[in-house]
Amino acid sequence: MRIILPAALVLAFIAAVSAGAVKIDFFSMSEMERNILFDVRLPRVVLAGLVGAALALSGVLFQYVMKNPLADSFTTGVSASSAMGAVIAIMLGLMPYIPLFALAGGIAGLYLVYRIASYRGRIQPITMLLAGIVLSTFASATISFMKFLSDDAVSSIIFWLMGGFQAATPLKDLILFAVICFSFLSVRGDYLKLDILCFDDTTASSTGVDVNRLRKKLFFAAALLTAFSVGYAGIIGFVGLIIPHILRLGNLVKASYLLPASLTGGAAFMMATDLVARTILQGGQELPVGVITSSIGGVFFLYLLIKRRKELFYFN
Amino acid sequence: MDGLHIGKGGLIAVLGNNGSGKSTFLNVMSGLLEFTGGYRVNGRPFREMAQAESARLMGFLPQEAALNMPFDAFYVVLTGRFIHSDGRMYSRADIARTENVMKRFDVFHLRDRLFNALSGGEKQRVLLARVMNMDTDIFLLDEPFSGIDILHQIKIVDVFRRIRSEKIIMVVIHDLSFAIHHFDRFLLFRDGRLLYDMKRDDLSPEMLSEVFGVRVGFAEQDNRMFVYTEEM
Repeated sequence: MRIILPAALVLAFIAAVSAGAVKIDFFSMSEMERNILFDVRLPRVVLAGLVGAALALSGVLFQYVMKNPLADSFTTGVSASSAMGAVIAIMLGLMPYIPLFALAGGIAGLYLVYRIASYRGRIQPITMLLAGIVLSTFASATISFMKFLSDDAVSSIIFWLMGGFQAATPLKDLILFAVICFSFLSVRGDYLKLDILCFDDTTASSTGVDVNRLRKKLFFAAALLTAFSVGYAGIIGFVGLIIPHILRLGNLVKASYLLPASLTGGAAFMMATDLVARTILQGGQELPVGVITSSIGGVFFLYLLIKRRKELFYFN
Repeated sequence: MDGLHIGKGGLIAVLGNNGSGKSTFLNVMSGLLEFTGGYRVNGRPFREMAQAESARLMGFLPQEAALNMPFDAFYVVLTGRFIHSDGRMYSRADIARTENVMKRFDVFHLRDRLFNALSGGEKQRVLLARVMNMDTDIFLLDEPFSGIDILHQIKIVDVFRRIRSEKIIMVVIHDLSFAIHHFDRFLLFRDGRLLYDMKRDDLSPEMLSEVFGVRVGFAEQDNRMFVYTEEM
C-alpha cells in the first residue's frame, strides 16, 4: 500500500493531464494547446485531486468523531447545508459568490449540528449523526423548494448540484491546498490519540486522551474541508465514505497510515474519475463526475462489502 | 467515606451487591465521573490534575470496553503505553514492554489476532494486559475477572500479588472465597456507602451478611478459608 497509493496518484495525474477532449502534443505544443494545458486542464486536474483528498480526509475525520464507519460529510449534514448555501447564491444570481455562500451554509449547518449534539460541553456521536441526517433532509427539501420556485435558475442549480471541476482556477487550487494543509497539519500530531479514540470513551479518557477536545478539533477540521470542497466543486458523493473504507479493508487501520493514505487515495480516485467523466463521451461532452463516483464507487464498494463481510463484521 | 486512606502494598478487594456504589467509587477515583468533595493523590488534590496527569497515575479498567477499529491484540495492548510515549510514536521500549506484559498475562499468543474476533474472556485478558501496560502506581480494575477461566484468574492474581508491594491495586470482585483467599484489604459497599474497610483477619461472617443481605459463613479446611452463602 505504501508504494501502490503514491504510484496510483502519479499515474492518475499523468493520465488525467495527458488525456482530454483536445489532444495535446506535449513535445511541440502550439499556443492554443499550451493555453488549454495550463489554463484549463492542469487547474482542473489539480482541483479534482485536491477535492478528492479533502473529501476523503474529511470522511476519515468524521468517522473518528462519530466512531461510526458510516459517517461522512453527508451524514453529518455539512454537504447538504453547504449545497443549500450555494443554491441560495444561484437563486440570487450571485454566481461568483457560490463558494462563499457554500462555506457560510456549511459552517451554519455544522454549528447547528454541533450545538444540538453537544450536551454539557460533550459531543454525543449518535445525536450528532441523527441531527446531521435531519439537517440533510431539511436542506434537500429547501433545495427542492427553491428549484420549484425559480424556473430560470433550475438548470444551473441542477448542473451545480451534480458537481464537477469545470470552474477550476489556479487560485481555487491554491486556496483548497492551503485548507488541506492546515487541516492535515492540525491533526497530524494526534495519530496515536485517534487510534485510542476508537475505544469507548471511558477507556480512551482513562488512557490519557482528552476525548472531547480532540473530537471538537477533528469536527472543525473535517467541516472546513467539506465546505471548501462543496463550494468549489458542488456535491460529489461517496468519496468520503468509500475511500477510507477501501483503505481500511486494505489493512490501513492505524491513523498514521490511514490519514496520509486517504489524502493520496482520495486524490488519485478523483483525478481518475474526473478523467473518465470528461473523456467517456464523444465530441467533448462531459458526464457529471458525481455520476461516475457514485456508480463506479458504489459498485466497487458493494463488491467489497460482499467480499469482505468478515472483516467488516469485526469492525465493531 | 470520609478519611479513607489507601497506601501502597496489599491487594484491595471492592465488594458489594449490584448498584452498591463499587463502580461509581472507581469511576470517581479515576476522574471519569463528576463528584462532590475531594481527595488527594500523593498529597495533591486530584481536581487540579489534567487528564494526562491522572492517567499517568492511575490505570482504569472499565467494566465494559468497546473497540470499533480492526486492531490486532498487540496494538490494543500497546495503546496502554500512550501516556509514556511522545504522543506521536511508540518507542522500542514501549514495544518491548508490551511483549513482556502480554507474556505475563498469557495473551502473547493472541498478538496477531483481531481484538474483536477474540472470545469474551480473551478480550478481557487483553484489556487487562493493556491497563497493566500503563505501568501506573494505582490500578482501578472494575470486575477484571469477569468471563475469565479459573486457570487464568489464578495466573492473574499471582501477577497482582507479585507487584502489590509497590502498587495500589483495587479490584471489584464478586467471588467471595477467591477474594478472601487472595486479597488483603476489603472495602465493603452497601446502598451507595462504604460500610466497612477491613483487613482480611478482621472480616467476620456477620459483616459480610450485613453487606450482601445473605447468610454468610466461614469454613476452614486444609488451612484455607472457604465462604459459603445461603438465603437469609
